[in-house]
Amino acid sequence: MKSAIKNRILTFTLSLTVFGGLFSCGEDFLEKAPKGELTSDNFFLDATQAKQSVNAIYAHLRSFNVHVFSYVGITDIASDDADKGSVPGDAGFLQDINDFTFDANNTAVNGVWRGYYQGIFRANQVLANVPNIEMNEELKTRLLGEARFLRAYFYFFLVRTYGDIPLIERPLNPDEYRQSRVPKAEIYNFIEEDLNFAIANLPEKSEYASTELGRATSGAAKAYLAKVHLFQNDFQSAFQMAEELINSGEYGLYPDYEAIFRREGEHSSESIFEVSTVALEQGGGGSQFNEVQGIRGNPNNGWGFNNPSDDLIAAYEENDPRLGATIIFNTDTLSTGEVVIADPNMGSSARFSKKAWIPIRPPIGFGNSGANIRLFRYADLLLIAAEAANELGNSTGALNYLNQVRERARKGNPDVLPDVTSTNQAELRNAIWHERRVELAMEQHRYLDLVRQGQAQSVFAELGINWIPGKHEVFPIPQAEIDISGGTLSQNPGY
Amino acid sequence: MRKLLPPAGNQQKLIYKICNLLIPLFLILGQTTYAQTNVQVQGTIIDSTGEPLPGVNVVIKGTLTGTVSDLYGKYNLSAPSDATLVFSFVGFTNQEIPINNQTEINLTLADDTSDLDEFVVVGYGLQRKSDLTGSISSIKSKEINRLPVSNVTQALQGRVSGVQVTSLSGAPGAGTTIRIRGVGTLNNSNPLFVVDGMLLDDIDFLNPNDVESMEVLKDASATAIYGSRGANGVVIVSTKQGSFNTKGRISVDTYTGIQQVADRIDLVNGRQFAELANELEQNIGNRPLYNVGDYGVGTDWQDQIFRNAPVSSVNLGASGGNANTSYSLSVNYFNQKGVVKESEFERLTVRLNNQYKFGEAVTFGHNFSFIYTNQQNEPGVVGNAYRAYPIFDPRNPDGSYTNTTPVGNPAAQFEYNSNNQSNNYRSVGNFFMDVKFLKNFTFRSNFGLDLSFNDGKSFTPVFFVSPTQQNFENSVSVNAGRNRNILWENTVNYTKEWDNHRLDLLGGITTQSFYQEFLSGGRRNLPGEDPSLWYLNAGELTSQTNSNSAGDWSMLSFLFRVNYTFRDKFLVTGTFRRDGSSRFGRESRFGNFPSIALGYRLIEESFLQDQSVLSELKIRGSWGIIGNDKIAFYEGRPVVTGNENAVFGENEALIYGATLTRLANPFIQWEETVTSNIGLEFGFFDNKLSGELDYYYRRTNDILVGVPIPAYVGSSNNPVVNAASVENRGIDLSLNWREQKGDFGYYFGIVASTVNNKVLAIGEGNEAIFGGAVGISGLLGSRTIIGESIGHYYGYKTAGVFQNEEQLANTPRRGPEGAGDLIFEDTNGDGVVNSKDRVILGSPIPDLVYGFNIGFDYKGFDFSVDFNGTIGNEIYNSKKQVRFNTYNFETSFLDRWTGEGTSNVEPRVTNGGHNYEVSDRFIEDGSFLRLRNVQIGYSFPKVALDRVKLQSFRIYVSGTNLFTMTNYTGYTPEIGGGNVLGTGYDSSLYPIARTFNVGVSANF
Repeated sequence: MKSAIKNRILTFTLSLTVFGGLFSCGEDFLEKAPKGELTSDNFFLDATQAKQSVNAIYAHLRSFNVHVFSYVGITDIASDDADKGSVPGDAGFLQDINDFTFDANNTAVNGVWRGYYQGIFRANQVLANVPNIEMNEELKTRLLGEARFLRAYFYFFLVRTYGDIPLIERPLNPDEYRQSRVPKAEIYNFIEEDLNFAIANLPEKSEYASTELGRATSGAAKAYLAKVHLFQNDFQSAFQMAEELINSGEYGLYPDYEAIFRREGEHSSESIFEVSTVALEQGGGGSQFNEVQGIRGNPNNGWGFNNPSDDLIAAYEENDPRLGATIIFNTDTLSTGEVVIADPNMGSSARFSKKAWIPIRPPIGFGNSGANIRLFRYADLLLIAAEAANELGNSTGALNYLNQVRERARKGNPDVLPDVTSTNQAELRNAIWHERRVELAMEQHRYLDLVRQGQAQSVFAELGINWIPGKHEVFPIPQAEIDISGGTLSQNPGY
Repeated sequence: MRKLLPPAGNQQKLIYKICNLLIPLFLILGQTTYAQTNVQVQGTIIDSTGEPLPGVNVVIKGTLTGTVSDLYGKYNLSAPSDATLVFSFVGFTNQEIPINNQTEINLTLADDTSDLDEFVVVGYGLQRKSDLTGSISSIKSKEINRLPVSNVTQALQGRVSGVQVTSLSGAPGAGTTIRIRGVGTLNNSNPLFVVDGMLLDDIDFLNPNDVESMEVLKDASATAIYGSRGANGVVIVSTKQGSFNTKGRISVDTYTGIQQVADRIDLVNGRQFAELANELEQNIGNRPLYNVGDYGVGTDWQDQIFRNAPVSSVNLGASGGNANTSYSLSVNYFNQKGVVKESEFERLTVRLNNQYKFGEAVTFGHNFSFIYTNQQNEPGVVGNAYRAYPIFDPRNPDGSYTNTTPVGNPAAQFEYNSNNQSNNYRSVGNFFMDVKFLKNFTFRSNFGLDLSFNDGKSFTPVFFVSPTQQNFENSVSVNAGRNRNILWENTVNYTKEWDNHRLDLLGGITTQSFYQEFLSGGRRNLPGEDPSLWYLNAGELTSQTNSNSAGDWSMLSFLFRVNYTFRDKFLVTGTFRRDGSSRFGRESRFGNFPSIALGYRLIEESFLQDQSVLSELKIRGSWGIIGNDKIAFYEGRPVVTGNENAVFGENEALIYGATLTRLANPFIQWEETVTSNIGLEFGFFDNKLSGELDYYYRRTNDILVGVPIPAYVGSSNNPVVNAASVENRGIDLSLNWREQKGDFGYYFGIVASTVNNKVLAIGEGNEAIFGGAVGISGLLGSRTIIGESIGHYYGYKTAGVFQNEEQLANTPRRGPEGAGDLIFEDTNGDGVVNSKDRVILGSPIPDLVYGFNIGFDYKGFDFSVDFNGTIGNEIYNSKKQVRFNTYNFETSFLDRWTGEGTSNVEPRVTNGGHNYEVSDRFIEDGSFLRLRNVQIGYSFPKVALDRVKLQSFRIYVSGTNLFTMTNYTGYTPEIGGGNVLGTGYDSSLYPIARTFNVGVSANF
């Protein structure tokens, strides 16, 4: 019986220790942290993380909603330069953009809004957190300058697309999620403030180390500031800023127009700002910009969207070499020797953007394209200067810049693209508008230019598209946003 | 006294053993505490056929002292000369015999057809069925093993009220979705599985032959002991055990069978396709593409991918035991080839369930299984076979694969995309120790583990079939993962019976910890394609990719339960559980989950004593709060997103970037379900007819839901808050009739459950949550709003087809319609058809889930048939809606509109556009009645078997999924899986197979 008692005592003490042990390790036992990931508790602490957070803003420029599908839709497909492309039935929401039959639920409208505000979120994270980091002040200021430039870039596209929009200057607290729209004049002021800071605090393109090529520069900030002024019809400021940048000598026209869009033309003298991408064997650095516009059929380079229109082809002057550098026609033979056979479902007017064409298939596929996305070229700047000058009555200045562009385009051939000589403001204006169109065709500028220039109504009326003035100058605020805002967000008129 | 001890049985449960150990223990202890005149009593116990009965409990009435009969039915104990001995054994009527100074008492025990004393496994213990206050359904080994399937959960279909089991797909090795009493939450609605005390999230690994019984716990009283894990119901599985003092027995169970695709989809043939395709081109303004006369029947692509496939299983088992050890060993090999080529599943399971007695008070035991599975999945051909043009042959005349653009050539996929296999090595088991002390106490420590390793490899060669179906560089990718799930539970149990009272107390602490890790790598450009080169080192270094991630969670819980029975009439159960989980923030880490249940057995009342109609009548009711913690592991933390890389420099270098891209809510806490249940259990005519009827109401609050915040806030996600609320209520009914008339026995059973699901709140700012993305087009077909069920289909209602221009001009419409297009109803009557005219089109949640089975046995022959089905659910035929290009057509297109008056149902042929908006064109009735299983078997008589030293031998033939009555046009009306906010979408699922098999079952 002794063993029985011993037994009891033994088991009793055993259970006590077991229970006791469990209590003591309770608290730590239930603390689990994510694996392989940092949390906000241990980020934004040093210079390395500051740099990483700015790099992440650049990374966002390659994303689908910012510079790929919906972006091409709103800028090119909506315009008279291009039709939807691909086969009927594919991406119906882009057909609606093309025909101006879209509503506030449209996918492209939603996608752009979402993508650009996410970019602003990343910029605001940097601007709110990096100032508190102890690090080299010069580097810190440069990083802040880059974040402000990129934020200004995002807001610039948003304000032109939607008009009055919410202004988010820093990461919001949960009780601030309901915002109302701010008049676009205020947005433009905000953009100008950001760009002015960037101009003052970013190095010039030539001052950067070559390993940093692709970062925002003070020149890029000036160029965008010029454009911002132009879009507000402040021609004086636009001209001044543009001329200052032209005279700085940082940039120049690249002699071969077609080669601008090939590998050799990446970050050329002409490049003021572009999105750098790289086609790595293992992926992770490319974009789908070229895939969505790639030849659909044979060679199978992509989805076949952004189909250059009959109207665009007719717009080119006779023998303008830029036509061949911009448009790929069905049955063309490419420089690689491949013959283009478009997907038969695309119909007889199947064409593709030559500027988005890449001759060599990237590893993994065309969705991993290393072709940079050109956002601001020197030619664009020259034409801004020309347009602003002309509006100010400075026809000499206007003709000078305009003809520089034409000179490069004609490639030494005296029989094409004669210089423009008219000093009549209205004629010159049309000539500059025409030049903008054919020089920058299929580069995602046209629709916003049409609206700015006030041509939209007449242009679309002629094409039989129901473009409604007083409504279609801006796209609708996404319906989902209006629904969620619970009444604080209003819709654009007509939608 | 007779009701105290669970009688031992032929296939004894673990805890039976423990209780049986009490007798010898207290025999020893008892000898010191009782000082009376004792006599030595012994004898032999036999059954009605004269066979000796081992394992019979012989107990001195009013005490816990007693013994157990041995292999020969003999017992021997010392007892007070004036005491009474109680003899009890499961399946037999108990007997009480006063000793009256006798030294030898022999007796015969008679069969007892009543199963009132049957024991049911509940959470952390056993309870008498008559004592149950909770809603628990039980299904036994024989019913589990009747189907030739790899997954035991399939056996629950149509057998348990309140449970809906839907196969995820017909692929070999595929799992199921189980919903107990409706859809409890907007998040993970899967129940908790408990296998021999080990808590798991799946039971796909179980060998059906190893399962002794499965219990489904449905209401708060039953599940509250599992606290935070029990909100969606609990399925408890007990595996077969050995038995003490039993002669060793060997069993062999094997079957083999053939499977074929049960139902095909009706697709058009070559000529019909050419006609329709031409019409489509003309409808969009192009010229026709095909010369219809050139084409005949063409290729039946479904024929190309389907095959008849074998399935087989071999199971060997050995069990038995002596006085101190019991063992049960089983080995099973299961192999199933899929009815789609290049798919296969095989599994090897070894299980060892032993128990060891150390001394009088201590028992140690383990239930340990090791499983190896190998799986190959088909290369995604089902969708392509549905879409490929019948005018193409699989191969060109020169032998190369035909270019079947716009979809991949399924035949080519079998050759080029089938090089992928995965293996899984897993062990699941538990080790436990029981210690009895202080007369009525039992301490149990249980250590459970679930360890698994899996690896997979896939290789894609260089090939060319067409510009859209080609691979430029060969590549190999490998992956490996491991899971570790460890549980440690310590409980103390106190039981006491005195006078008319029976009390059972349980208290304990449990902890669980889970960890999983994934690793993968890939490279391209191997120098050759031979399998000996399918390793990463053979690939180009510059192309290497890799990834590695992990996650973990842990839980700590305190549990307490009291069960009290008075006079076998009044039953009370109370439980309380406090749980802490690592998934929640420090402030909201712990939750408290109480429950209370009452039962009243009217049958024990005096006015119901002397009648032979009612044999059982019990009312029970329960109320409780249980929680759900199945959310993401680290939901409350704002995580930095890494690898947001930028490209800089002339050399285009990829530079690391990282930042916060998402918002998180640090105040996340438990989802809570408050459930109440009223039940009636009844039995008539000595339980020939028995059944249960329950009404339940469950309300889940604080459901985690992503509350949409405006996109301009800039987060890439919606932060998750506890803001939604869902209600489920319904009725569960199960009825059974069983009768034995001489040599002929028959039975009939029916189960039926209704579910009424309603959303009560979805978080402020959410007017509706949309789900169910249909293809890449981004259309969402399901919606969840307050006042309706979760994830109902939401879209336009069709009202015919526009016949002519006049109708177009005079009927409200969206805008782009032309003649031949669908008319959408202007439901709000505002003269315009737009998104405001969308209405509820149906729901994937059935109104009624039911099953019934009939069977009989006569002189060795047995026959059974069972059916299961649902009523009132709809299916979204999303594969028909997603048309990025011209694809093949279902025969429903043959009735399309081709001119005025030709059709008012099927619009003109187009791809995409107006006719492919979310509308009831794609919603079909998903109700079905399926003949699930028919089985005919014959058991050879004992006389014949004795000659060959066999204990039993049965052969049988069976057919499974023989016939399904449904209006749905797809492969099967069972569409499981998907997030509950968008479920019921049929997007080219692997079809269900019809199986015929024969089997043999022998015991030595």
